Amino acid sequence: MTALLWLQTGSCGGDTMSMLCADSPSLEDLVDEYGIEVLWQPSLSMEPMKKLDVLIEAILADRQALDVLCIEGSIITGPDGSGMYDPYRGRSKMSLVRELVEKAEYVVAMGTCAAYGGVHAAPPNPTDCLGLQFDKKNPGGLLPIEWRSRKGLPVINISGCPAHPNAMTKTLAMLASGLPVELDHLNRPKAFFNTMVHQGCTRIEYHEYDVEDAEFGNKACLFFNLGCQGPMTVAICNTELWNGRSSKTRAGVPCFGCTSPDFPLDHDLFRTEKIGEVPVHLPLDVARSNYMAYKSLAHEAAPLRVLNKKMDP
Amino acid sequence: MSRKIIQIDMNRVEGDVDFQLELEGSRIVDARCVGSLYRGFEQILLGRKPMDALVMTPRICGICGTAQLNAAVLALEHLARLPVPPAAMRIRNLCLMAETVQSDLRQSFLFFTADFCHPKYRSLPLYDKARAAFLPFQGEIYRGALEHSRHIVEIIALFGGQWPHSSYMVPGGVTTPASSRHLIDGLSLLNKLTRWFEKSVIGTPLDDWLALQSADEFFDWLEAGEAHADSAIGLLTRMSREIGLHRLGCGTPHMISYGAYDDPEDVENFSPYRKRLFKAGFLNGDAGSIEPFDQNEITEHVRYSWFLPYPGGRHPFQGQTVPDYQPHSDRYTWCKAPRYRDKVVQTGPLADALIDGEPLIHALYRAEGGNAWLRQFARLHRTARLLKAMSQLLHELAAHPGEPHILPPADKEIPDGEGFGLVTAARGALGHWLQVRDGVISRYQVITPTAWNASPKDSEGRHGHWESSLIGLTVEDPDDPVEIGHIIRSHDPCLVCTVHLLDTGKRLTVWP
Ligand code: SF4
Ligand code: SF4
Repeated sequence: MTALLWLQTGSCGGDTMSMLCADSPSLEDLVDEYGIEVLWQPSLSMEPMKKLDVLIEAILADRQALDVLCIEGSIITGPDGSGMYDPYRGRSKMSLVRELVEKAEYVVAMGTCAAYGGVHAAPPNPTDCLGLQFDKKNPGGLLPIEWRSRKGLPVINISGCPAHPNAMTKTLAMLASGLPVELDHLNRPKAFFNTMVHQGCTRIEYHEYDVEDAEFGNKACLFFNLGCQGPMTVAICNTELWNGRSSKTRAGVPCFGCTSPDFPLDHDLFRTEKIGEVPVHLPLDVARSNYMAYKSLAHEAAPLRVLNKKMDP
Repeated sequence: MSRKIIQIDMNRVEGDVDFQLELEGSRIVDARCVGSLYRGFEQILLGRKPMDALVMTPRICGICGTAQLNAAVLALEHLARLPVPPAAMRIRNLCLMAETVQSDLRQSFLFFTADFCHPKYRSLPLYDKARAAFLPFQGEIYRGALEHSRHIVEIIALFGGQWPHSSYMVPGGVTTPASSRHLIDGLSLLNKLTRWFEKSVIGTPLDDWLALQSADEFFDWLEAGEAHADSAIGLLTRMSREIGLHRLGCGTPHMISYGAYDDPEDVENFSPYRKRLFKAGFLNGDAGSIEPFDQNEITEHVRYSWFLPYPGGRHPFQGQTVPDYQPHSDRYTWCKAPRYRDKVVQTGPLADALIDGEPLIHALYRAEGGNAWLRQFARLHRTARLLKAMSQLLHELAAHPGEPHILPPADKEIPDGEGFGLVTAARGALGHWLQVRDGVISRYQVITPTAWNASPKDSEGRHGHWESSLIGLTVEDPDDPVEIGHIIRSHDPCLVCTVHLLDTGKRLTVWP
């Protein structure tokens, strides 16, 4: 049995909603097939809230094992460092989380809020919130960057706004089955964060030949004008489809880079920042001069079916 | 008589909500509904580009993000006076409906009916059937709802790429057209859910069930055989009535509805003047009449909220949201107190059905008033109507192939000005009020459905709707007030919320 406790801090509940949509494995599978025992989940537990108090007491007194602690939502430290914008029974959730993490074999941040601060930490960050072990992309959040859980891992960051349903349930299944979880430099499991959103986007045919849309509702690539962060963002949106069906970029919505620590970006989210004709941010690790040379060649080579936007994304 | 205060915590999607109830003997004499989480969305939006609202506001709520997106895009279109083609309206409506169906199924069968499995009801004749259907993670209906609510949002993913939290409604339309592939996928998804709904939830073909128009017809249907009586809605109804939920939890008699789903046939008018498929209105509980709705009549009070005080109420365009946390004063919540024509109102599926003139809900309301059972029943009745409406929308889209799904705005920038977007989310009336100055958002005020229902007292000291639906209630066993659980859950406090209830700090009720 793997005992799991899920707490919501400053959140919209979107990660819980997202996880209810997971199908590989599903939530029921985690319970039925992977031996995960949900001690508490705010949206699913039917027991009275008192049970949570009793559980927390038992965990803190080492009378109840806590294998996995999942946190959904930003850690709110305001006002004035008290954390009382997000209280739990007269104390701050912030302080409760700080005590609980010490008892957990693994701590998992579900969503960008819990990992890095997320949408609530956007300027002016009215509630002074941050992530569990990061503050945006800066190391150190509620916990110092050196912090390790009982099993010797930092907080496992399943970022995304919301986190991808199957990234959440697969990670939990991996932990429950004792599979190793390797992390990247932002403590995200590499199994889900070593693929660009761009990989598998059905607009790639256009991107390849540098055929770019200037307004929404069309068929081509959204990178040059419409703010798509797909080539700079790691996530499985286009390799393990959302709700088993699609992804934002496939549906003509730019990738907003919601798995990145700096989501949401401070500037216009639907417009690509450019210097002259060239986007300020190029695909990950690509040198500017090479990129421009490649682009103009590509455009030269574009077949008419692509130039005339005849292909469906 | 002894007075005591009990604290009831509930869980959340859109913020945290607790209740503080004051009991005199076994009667509730005062109630405070406490929204305890502050997230500061309205401040985060200030200074951002107007379109960014399409990314930020869905994150207000994980369960009604599509409705938030729609409110945001309607506000932008209102401000910029942008037309929207019929196909876009149909796609938007389809996605909004799918989200509401998802939410209604989850609210009904993951959260509301689980209460019927409480050991307190052990001696009721229906108890075993209720457990077989509704027990969390095991009951047949519970598992069916888990499964089918997961699949219906795939319709949103077809057009928006993902659910929750996409931004595919943009000024002028939507980002993806309805291809024939999408339409067949959408129909298959819808049909699968509809077949399950007919078999398990209503035990009757959809059209026959929707043809029930009077209270007598409905109760005759309920008696006519096991398939009806033991359907999910049959069990829910019979259990509720055995417990007496048809006599509890009425709250304020006044109701509002913004109306739902822009009418794609109405291409003459721009939002917010476009006709709607489900009507808007104000049900004046004093006069018993339905009157036209006018958003100018909305004000928000902060007398009992943790915001910088101002006297009386203000329209959202004059609204101000400056946190002023005063835990040790008589102010008690992060919710403002919205009022319509200075009256306390309720919103949600019951209000929507009554204002729209739905005959069966009207008949039941006339017979017994707006009680907890009817509120829950109206929610599932809506699911039936929406399944039918979604099928119609998919067929209409199929009948108009190749029509534009967006009219790209001539001007790339949203001009300065103001606009609002009023929509019906699963829990009721949702509004966004937006002002743009110098190309950026200078004011953004949101009133969620929960804000209406969970409202605290206003500057006149009048209680909000949930508060007033509890005051006066006699609690059989103050140490285990199950009836409060039913009442609050019937209001769908925060769609996904489990209302963590039944806790008096004295005795632990462990169940199931
Ligand atoms: S990360 Fe996104 S989805 Fe998750 S709680 Fe935060 S806002 Fe909601
Ligand atoms: S739309 Fe975005 S993810 Fe898709 S090909 Fe273009 S840049 Fe890549």
